[in-house]
Amino acid sequence: MSFIEIIFYVFASILLLTSLGVILFKNPVYSAISLILSFITSAALWLLLQAEFLAIVLILVYVGAVMVLFLFVVMMLNIDDVVRTSKFNKMAPFALFIGLIIVAELITLIWIRSDQFSVVTVSTGFLDSSVSNTTALGTALFTDYLYSFEIAGFILLLAIVVSISLTMRRRKGLKRQIVSEQVNIDPTKRMKLVDLKNERN
Amino acid sequence: MLTLQPYLTLAAIVFAIGVMGIIINRKNIIILLMCTELLLLAVNFNFIAFSYFNQDIAGQIFVFFILTVAAAEAAIGLAILVVLYRNKNSIDVQELQTLRE
Repeated sequence: MSFIEIIFYVFASILLLTSLGVILFKNPVYSAISLILSFITSAALWLLLQAEFLAIVLILVYVGAVMVLFLFVVMMLNIDDVVRTSKFNKMAPFALFIGLIIVAELITLIWIRSDQFSVVTVSTGFLDSSVSNTTALGTALFTDYLYSFEIAGFILLLAIVVSISLTMRRRKGLKRQIVSEQVNIDPTKRMKLVDLKNERN
Repeated sequence: MLTLQPYLTLAAIVFAIGVMGIIINRKNIIILLMCTELLLLAVNFNFIAFSYFNQDIAGQIFVFFILTVAAAEAAIGLAILVVLYRNKNSIDVQELQTLRE
């Protein structure tokens, strides 16, 4: 067993344990932390597959942004008043059944005739070893997939607009400026000039 | 030398765990969103494994877009969750039955 295989199996078992932890922990904070660990572990596995840029992006975007957002929301909502039912509710045997069937089917599909569909492993690195992974990804992204890239940008813009407009709350009775009225004010209505007689004559 | 099959098996098991989590969980919507992230992670794993073993960069491009969509989905989902909690004061899955009644 080579060194890479040992690394793969160690990280794979950590990934499986942590993803089981995501669904089995009662406390959502533990689940979120477990999911963070599984993201980091799979980033390490992606490094084995020479996807260096995506591994870093997974850590930066997912662990740094998305999971922190999850933890934020978990701690912002008061989860103590969520009713704590027993961990294995009545759906658990059914879920286990479905999960085992999915695993059995997929593993059968993957390993059947594995000698025929095993792909040639090229040991010389990705595509062209003179070009780094980030360069290759960027070159493909900004030439062949430019249109999809702009659509992805629009999706992110949509996410910003939607989440702001969903969570923005307008309270009633709030005193605020109405700028248009302030600008359009007529000075003759505001100010009255009164002639005062000079009393000292 | 590792072949394609162990990676695909690992992704399949992670995917099944995500599906099981969605079925098991009956009390917390946040866990449902996390299980969705697990499912997307398993899909990304498949893409990257095939991308490496076929030596084709297109798989990684797809993972890039899936990451984008997943980030947007998490942001919008959590925003909906916050609004829901503000209105109903609960994030219990079983109490959210207003469409059924």
